[in-house]
Amino acid sequence: MAKKSLSRRKFLIGAASVSGAAILAACAPQVVEKVVQQTVVVKENVQQTVEVPVQQTVIVEKAAPAGPVVLTAAHAWEAAFEAHQEEFDNNFMKANPNIFIKRVNSDWSAHNQIVPTWAAAGELPDIIYVHGSRAFPWNKEGILITVDNYVSADKPFDVAGIWPEALKLYQFNGKQFEIPYDHGPVIMGYNMDLFDAAKVEYPKPDWTVDDFVATAKKLTIPGKQWGYSGYYGNTFDLGNEIGIALVGGWGGEVFTDDESKLVVDSPESVEALKWWADMYTQKIVPNAAESTAFPSGVWVAGAAAMFGLATWGVPQMHDFGNFKYDVAPWPKGPKGQKTGSFGSGYGITKDSKNPDVAWTYMSQYLNVDGMNFMWASSGRGSPARLACKETYMKAAINPPNAGYFYDAMDKYAVTGHPYHTAASGEVADILGKYCGLVRTGEMTPEDAIANIVKEANPKLAAAAAG
Amino acid sequence: MENALVAPVQTIPWYKTVKFRKTAQVVLVYALIIPGGIILILPFLWMVTTALKVQKQIFTFPPVFIPNPVMWSNFYEGWTKYVPFTRYLFNTLEIVTNNVVGNLVSCVLAAYGFARLKARGKEIIFYMVLGTMMVPLWVTIIPQYVLFSKIHWTNTYLPLTVPAWFGWPFFIFLLRQFFMSIPRDLDDAARIDGASTWGILWHIILPLSKPALATVAVFAFIGNWNNFLGPLIYIRDTDKYTLAIGLQRFQGIYGNVQYHYMMAVATIIVLPIVIVFFLAQNLFVKGIVMTGIKG
Amino acid sequence: MTQALSTPKKPKLSPLRRKEEFEFYLSILPWIIGFILFTGGPIAASMFFSLTDWTGLTTRNFIGIQNYIAMFTTDKQFLTVVANTFYYSFASVILGTIGSVLVAILMNQKIPGINVFRTIYYLPSVTSGVAIAIMFMWLFNPQLGLINYALSLLGIQGPLWLASSTWAMPALILMSLWGIGGNMIVLLAGLQGIPDHLYEAARIDGANKVQEFFNVTIPMLSPVIFYVMIVSIIGSFQIFDNVYVMTRGGPGDATRVLVYHLYQNAFEYQKMGYSSALAWILFLIIMALTYLQFRFGRSWVYYESE
Repeated sequence: MAKKSLSRRKFLIGAASVSGAAILAACAPQVVEKVVQQTVVVKENVQQTVEVPVQQTVIVEKAAPAGPVVLTAAHAWEAAFEAHQEEFDNNFMKANPNIFIKRVNSDWSAHNQIVPTWAAAGELPDIIYVHGSRAFPWNKEGILITVDNYVSADKPFDVAGIWPEALKLYQFNGKQFEIPYDHGPVIMGYNMDLFDAAKVEYPKPDWTVDDFVATAKKLTIPGKQWGYSGYYGNTFDLGNEIGIALVGGWGGEVFTDDESKLVVDSPESVEALKWWADMYTQKIVPNAAESTAFPSGVWVAGAAAMFGLATWGVPQMHDFGNFKYDVAPWPKGPKGQKTGSFGSGYGITKDSKNPDVAWTYMSQYLNVDGMNFMWASSGRGSPARLACKETYMKAAINPPNAGYFYDAMDKYAVTGHPYHTAASGEVADILGKYCGLVRTGEMTPEDAIANIVKEANPKLAAAAAG
Repeated sequence: MENALVAPVQTIPWYKTVKFRKTAQVVLVYALIIPGGIILILPFLWMVTTALKVQKQIFTFPPVFIPNPVMWSNFYEGWTKYVPFTRYLFNTLEIVTNNVVGNLVSCVLAAYGFARLKARGKEIIFYMVLGTMMVPLWVTIIPQYVLFSKIHWTNTYLPLTVPAWFGWPFFIFLLRQFFMSIPRDLDDAARIDGASTWGILWHIILPLSKPALATVAVFAFIGNWNNFLGPLIYIRDTDKYTLAIGLQRFQGIYGNVQYHYMMAVATIIVLPIVIVFFLAQNLFVKGIVMTGIKG
Repeated sequence: MTQALSTPKKPKLSPLRRKEEFEFYLSILPWIIGFILFTGGPIAASMFFSLTDWTGLTTRNFIGIQNYIAMFTTDKQFLTVVANTFYYSFASVILGTIGSVLVAILMNQKIPGINVFRTIYYLPSVTSGVAIAIMFMWLFNPQLGLINYALSLLGIQGPLWLASSTWAMPALILMSLWGIGGNMIVLLAGLQGIPDHLYEAARIDGANKVQEFFNVTIPMLSPVIFYVMIVSIIGSFQIFDNVYVMTRGGPGDATRVLVYHLYQNAFEYQKMGYSSALAWILFLIIMALTYLQFRFGRSWVYYESE
C-alpha cells in the first residue's frame, strides 16, 4: 500500500502548532457563560431591562480550602535538625488547629536553584528560607512580599528586639521583606588542648592583633600545627563577614557603604591585608596546599591553635572536633575593633495564597520564644535577638564563652558587604578568585588588590547606575 | 621388536608451554589492572569504613582506617531514624522501572530506524537527536519546569517517568551503533522468508543485541537511581521523595554532615546493585555467540 | 530525432522506498512526540531567552543579540573559559577513550577472578558522589595524598595539584578517568559482538596478538569506539560537578569551564539571559565538533551492515 510520504517541513510545522496549541490551551483563561442584565432600547424612547446571555472571560479562582489552611514552608535543614523543626511545627499546629504546616527541605545549593524555578511557575511555597546573599536579588525581583504592615501591627513580635544590622540585610527600597532568624559574627576560636600542651595563656578578652600574632607564633610547630588557620581554612579572604574583620581593625573598609565601589585599595586596607598576608611568609598559617590536607578543615582536625569562628561553625566543631575549645573576642586592631557578621532569614512569597496566615506562623517562629526554641537552645547559629542570649549561652553544643558572639553583635560587628548591589554575585567571585591566588602563593596581596579593584569596580558602578 | 614408528619427542622450552603462556597472560593482565583497581576502589572503601565509624572518628588526624568501635547500628539508624528510606526505596523503584522499560522500548525502536531504514531527512533528525544532548541542564531547567507546571504534572512522578517512554538520545545512539554492526545477511534471509520490518527487529536484531540491551538497562537504572535534582524540583510531598533525595538529607548547611549515616545508607543502596552487576556479568560477556553466518 | 531538453526530474521514490521511509518515521515517532511535548519547548525557550536580559526571576526584556556581543567584549573570562573547556575535553576524551578500550580488552579475558575486577572498575559509577569527592581531595593532596606519595617513591616531587594554577586542570583530567568503568561496559558489550571466526582466520594467516588487535578488534569495535568518543566529547564539554564541588573554577580561572561559568551567571549573578546565550554557543561548538567527527568517522568507522 503506497502512502504519501510525510515531508520534513510538514512534520515540523505540524509539530510546532501542536505543541504551541497545547501550551496555549493550558494557559488560556476559562470562558464561562454568564447571564447579565442589560438595558436595551426596544422601541424609540422605550427602554427595557432584559436578561442577556453573555460570554465572559473570567479567571476561575481556586475555591477557598475547606478545613485547615495549609501553609507550605521551604527550609534548608538536614534531617537531624528537621526533627527539631517538626517539633516546633507540631506545637504550633496544636496551638493553631486551623493551620496545617507542610514542610519541604532541600540542601543549600539546591534550594537556591529551586526557588527561581518555582518562582517562574508561580508555585513558590508560602514561606521560604532566604540566605542573606539572596535577599537583595530575590527582593528586587519581587518574589517575596513586604512585611512592614504585619510587623507594625504585631506589637508582641517586638521587631525592635532584632539586631538592626541583621534587619537591614533584608530591606529593599526602605521596606522590610524578610525577617532574620540567625545573624552572627566572626570571632576567634581556639583549641584549648593545644594551648595547654604548649603552656600558653588563653587569649584575654581585650587582646590586640599583636598579642594574637605573638600567640600564633608560639603555637606553630612546623609541619604539624599552625598558630592560626584562618576563617574556614582561609587566612586571606575578603568574603562578606571576614573581609571587614581583616581590615576593620586598621580603619579600612572593603566596600563603600552604598556599595558603588570597592575601597579595599585604600592605604589602611592595604596595610591591614599585607599584615595578614605576612602570616603566610612567617609560616604561622597553612597555605592552600597545606590547608586542603584536611577534608573537614585544618581546625576541626585539631591542627590549628586558633581559627576564625562564626556561630554557624559551631555545629561542625561539635560533630567532628575531638578537642576542647573556646572562643575569644576578635582581636583589636591598631585603630579599633571591628568584625563582620552575616545571616539568613525567612520571608513570605508572592505566590502565597494566605499571607496573613503565613505571618501568623512567621510571628511565632521568629519572636523571642520561637528563636529560643529553634536556635538558642539548640545552639545552632546565634538567633538575631539580644533577648535570646541567655538561652543561647546555655546550649549544650556551645563553647563556654559563647556570650562573646553576642558581645560582638552588640558592640563591634557590622553586616559585611556586599548585600545590596546587583553585582554582588560577580564581585564575590572576583574577590574569591584573587584571594585564592594569594593563598596558593601565585599572586602578591598588592597585585590581588589591584586586580580586584580593576575588575570589580566597573561592575559595581554599572549596578549602582542601572 | 623395534619401536621404529615412535615419533621423536621434541622438548618444548618451558617458556613456550601452554601452561606458562596462560600463567603469563594472567600475571600480565593483573599487573596492568591492579594499580587502577586499587585507586578506583578507594571511594568505595572509604564509604564502607565511614559507615561503620562513630561520627567523631571520621575526620581525625592522623586518619583512622579501621573503625573502632565498629558501629553496625549506623546502618539501622541511618535507614530508619530520620527519613523513611524504605518508602523512598519503593518510590525510587517505581521511577526507575518506568525509565528502564520505557527507554528499552522507545530507544530500540528509534535506533532500529536510524540503523536499518532509509529515509530522507534521517541525517538531520539524527543530528537533532544528538543535539538535545548538547544543551546544558541549567538553561532548560526553568522553562521545563514551567512547561510541566502548566500541564499540572508538578508534584507527581510524571515528569520523571513519562519522557523515558519517548527515548533518550544517549541510548538511541548507543543502540544504533550496535545495530549497525550486525550484518545484513540475516535480514535479507528473513525478508526472503517474508518477514516484515518489525519482524526482523524482533526475531533477528534483538536476540543478537543482548549485551547492548543489558548495557542500556544498567545505565538507565543507575542514572535514575542516583538522580537527585529532578525529583527534588518536581516532588513536593516529602513522602514521595526518592533515595537520592533521602541521602542528601544528611547534608547539613553548616558543614555538619552526618557522613556516617549517609555512607551507611549509601552502602545499603549500592550493595544490591553491585551484587547484581557481579552476578549478571554473563549478560555482558559472551552472553551470545555470533553464529548464523559462515565466514 | 533530437531529444527535447528538459530539466531532469527528481526521481520518484519507489513504493518500496516510500514504505521504508514511512516505517522509519514510525520508528522515531515516539522520540518525535517526546521532543515536541517535552524537550523541544524548553530548548526553544532558552534560545529565546538568550535574546533577553532575563535574571532568572521576573525581569525579562528583549535585548536582541547584546548577550552574544557581550561574550566577546565585556566578558573578560569568556575566551579563557572556552579554552579551558577545550583543554579539559580533548585531554580527558583522548585519555579516557584509549584507557577504556585497553581496560575493556583486558577485562575481556577469561581469567579467574576477572569478574571481581570488572565490578571494581564499575564501582565509581555507583558509589556516592560525596565519597568520591572526599577521596579525590585526599588522593590529590600535595602533602598527604596517595598520588604524590606514589610519585615520591619514583623520586619525583609531586606538584601542588588543586592548589596550583598549572596543575589543577590536569588533576581534573585525571579525575575524569574514574568514569572509565562506564565506557568499559559499553566496549565490553561491543567486544562480544566480534565473531570468533575472524580471530581464527587471522591466526591461520599468521597474525600475532598485536596484528589481531589492529586488524580485527579495532575495526570491528570501531562503531562502539566512535560512540564512546562522541558521547565523551559531548559530556566533557559540559563538565560541571567536579568543578562546582572542588575548585569553583580556581585557582584563579584555571579550571573555570563553560558550564560552571554558565551556572554562575544563571544562579549567582542573576544573568539567566546571558547564561542562555552561553549555552547556545556551547551547543554550536559541540555540534560542530560532532559533525566533524561524523564526517571524519566515515574513513575509519567500519559498520558490518554497510
